[in-house]
Amino acid sequence: MEFLQETNIDFMKYRRFWVVLSLVLVVISVLAIFVHGKLNVGVDFAGGTQLTLQFQQQPEVDELRSILAAAGLADTQIQSFGEAGSNEVLIRAPLGDEGATAMQERILAAFDERYNAERSGLDLNRSGRDGVASLLDRLDPEGVLEGGGALAESYYEGIAESILDRRQELGIFSSWEQVAAAEGVSPEILEALRENASQGTFALLGAENVTPQVGRELRIKGIWAVVLSLIGMLIYIWIRFELRFGIGAVLASFHDVMVVLGFYALLDFEFNLTTVAAFLTLVGYSVNDTVVIFDRVRENLRLTRRAPLLEVINRSVNQTLSRTVLTSGTTLLATGALLIWGGDVLRGFAFVLTVGIVVGTYSSVYVASPFAVLWEELTSRRRAVTGKGAPKAAGGATGL
Amino acid sequence: MNRSLLWRGLLILAVVGVLAWSAYPLDEKLKLGLDLQGGMHLLLHVKVDDALRAETETDMDRTVRLLRDEARIPGATARRTSVTGFEILGVPGDADDRVDDIADDYLGTWTWRREGERLEFEMRDEYAAEVRRMAVAQARQTIDNRVNEFGVSEPVITTQPDKERIVVQLPGVDDPEQVKELIQSTAFLEFRLVDWPDGGAGASSVEEIMAHYGGRLPQTVEILVEEIEDPQTRQVVGERYYAVQKTSVITGRDLKNSRSERGEYQQPVVGFSVSPEGADRFGQATGENIGRGLAIILDGKVVSAPRINARITDRGIIEGSFTLQEVDLLVTQLRSGALPAGIEYLEERTVGASLGQDSIRQGLRAGLIGGTLVILTMLVVYKRTGINAVVALTLNVVLVFGALAYFRATLTLPGIAGIILTIGMAVDANVLVFERIREERRKGRTVRSAIAAGFEKARSSILDANITTLIAALFLFQFGTGPIRGFAVTLMVGIFSSMFTALFVSRWIFDFVTGRKGWAERLSI
Repeated sequence: MEFLQETNIDFMKYRRFWVVLSLVLVVISVLAIFVHGKLNVGVDFAGGTQLTLQFQQQPEVDELRSILAAAGLADTQIQSFGEAGSNEVLIRAPLGDEGATAMQERILAAFDERYNAERSGLDLNRSGRDGVASLLDRLDPEGVLEGGGALAESYYEGIAESILDRRQELGIFSSWEQVAAAEGVSPEILEALRENASQGTFALLGAENVTPQVGRELRIKGIWAVVLSLIGMLIYIWIRFELRFGIGAVLASFHDVMVVLGFYALLDFEFNLTTVAAFLTLVGYSVNDTVVIFDRVRENLRLTRRAPLLEVINRSVNQTLSRTVLTSGTTLLATGALLIWGGDVLRGFAFVLTVGIVVGTYSSVYVASPFAVLWEELTSRRRAVTGKGAPKAAGGATGL
Repeated sequence: MNRSLLWRGLLILAVVGVLAWSAYPLDEKLKLGLDLQGGMHLLLHVKVDDALRAETETDMDRTVRLLRDEARIPGATARRTSVTGFEILGVPGDADDRVDDIADDYLGTWTWRREGERLEFEMRDEYAAEVRRMAVAQARQTIDNRVNEFGVSEPVITTQPDKERIVVQLPGVDDPEQVKELIQSTAFLEFRLVDWPDGGAGASSVEEIMAHYGGRLPQTVEILVEEIEDPQTRQVVGERYYAVQKTSVITGRDLKNSRSERGEYQQPVVGFSVSPEGADRFGQATGENIGRGLAIILDGKVVSAPRINARITDRGIIEGSFTLQEVDLLVTQLRSGALPAGIEYLEERTVGASLGQDSIRQGLRAGLIGGTLVILTMLVVYKRTGINAVVALTLNVVLVFGALAYFRATLTLPGIAGIILTIGMAVDANVLVFERIREERRKGRTVRSAIAAGFEKARSSILDANITTLIAALFLFQFGTGPIRGFAVTLMVGIFSSMFTALFVSRWIFDFVTGRKGWAERLSI
């Protein structure tokens, strides 16, 4: 199937309109970030604690919120997480003076009071290996500790380990049958556990605690990484092509970052380390896309030195159009699949790239090229005024 | 088949073969990040000021002793002024020469100057830096020992010396709180004589002890507490108090070895043996104090205070209301030594194995769907030449996994995203070449010359486009920790392998196919 072959679209005709539109988009994004109420910054950069809890039954997010509010933890964010039916929630709270461990304990204690009030004994859904081993050592349901000896001492540790491995696979125990299925759990052990331990209604699957100090450091490193990679690309394109193309490519890429950032803020995606990775990748992709067009421009300029820059750019964009659309298309298929099927953790990442590819493809044509022309005009006009040499290949590029 | 074609074919086979072999079987050879296999990541800060303070106090005491004994200045007293400084009072103005002699002979790591009545001592900067570095190194070693004794498989512990930070990565840990406690506790063990009450029983309140001493504790004595636990519920049900001497008989450093043992009633106890020098002191102190209590103190709290029944020299046991697991923990800590300085956690991330499993499953699904869609697109757009791209794409995925396994790189969740992204972007190089070949064909070139020209002209575009992406990946690697690094690595590996497949493998396929009889002028593109 061939499409978009030998097209002859005058992309540069309305370049003034596209430049203005792009600027407006950037301004709207900045407004979206500031007016909408800044970015939804995650614990990576803001510091704080983030817990992933799995419940036995689907929890009501509103109810969880009111429990925490009643416990004096009003400044927390709760959202359901994972695939439907996984009964998982994500809880985020800022770190007070008390530190992460204390904060975590307050949150869990508040839920305990509400959901696990009738429970007694060791909570199999929250205890660690040593807790379970201690309990079994004390109960000695199989009577192996009577005689003492090293074998008996590690006996229950092995069983505790296998019970917890089972829980790790499941996430949470919801029935005693699931405990019984763990390797080495005899009817006696199961009975002892049923009498002396219980299954709490929720389990802690993951916890992330970041101090504000580290958050600040990561923030600064993230900003530097984006800025330095833009500068790195500017220099590379400057060396391989010309300064005007470098400026155009970097401006286009900056435009993409800003516009996607605006969408990101509007849709309240969480901004975290992975998001920075996505934006840096977007910078790479966006420049990549632009460079292919500029490469063609450079080639065409060599072939026809007399032709005006505008015309050359137009021809080059047309020549590479099918490649631009096809590559963007396949990359979109991949990131789109990630967005839909890749899970919650990668959703923000996939969103940045999916939107970024659309915006980046647009900007390669309508931002990078006009800016290269604009730069050309500005410098050649100055050269003309100061009389320092004639403009190079930009004869016909007049009026933007 | 001509020679060049054969050689290139063998080269491709070799590269793909080596990498595929190094990645097989995938689930064993590929190292998964903590976010995928579950585990714990800790970033901790060593409070090196603790170590400096201890160093300053030791040298301050030594200085006072030297001034009194060697320099014959009996009135010398000292006070610490900062973590790296102290001042000496009561040194007469005409004694500066003698202080200089002492400082030259014994206090090479310190500078001093007179400030009126006071002598101000300040630790030399090089030495302070050395103390800091040593504290971090020693803390790292101690944590390393503890984690290994605890039995975590494949722990990764690295130091960031410039920032006095240590990164600890523990795959598969299921009890974060316990691990944190294991790492964090300084585990400073001391044996000290109990001044009152005698015979191993503690006092029930501080007031009782104060009443015994008539309301004023002797200078050499302090009151410490023992928490009493209910053996069944492990809850703290009461407290006992002891007036213990401030100087210790022996400390954890004098222990030669310790191990988990069973006591008289099969209860878990810690057995220990003492080094020869420690044994002399231990034997003397216990021999002279039969009938008194000996307090066993861990991190400032009394574990137990048994009565001394006989002279003890080089071995003994520590009894307390321990569970087997607590004994194991204590033995681990005693064996690994005390931390030279306190530790605080700056960053902790724990991921449960079930979360990691979900991530892998979702990533795999998204990758398969995305990959299938890309393959279908290429086949529809480029017809039979699309097969070329599909081969390149498949090889690409094999190469990425192979390279990750070969270089022992870690696959993280963002890394999976990186591979999926690579699937989408890898065909770009093919697209550039194919489009160029179509253009050359439209100009009327023959198939073979169109292919040659297509590759020739597309090369600079492919190179420039990939290098700019590589620049972003490099900065990402520099910026990132853990998972993000994993992403940067897969992105970089993806860039190299897609250039290899597009410029080398795909070219070879073209050459191979068009080299065969009857195929030369029929190109389905």
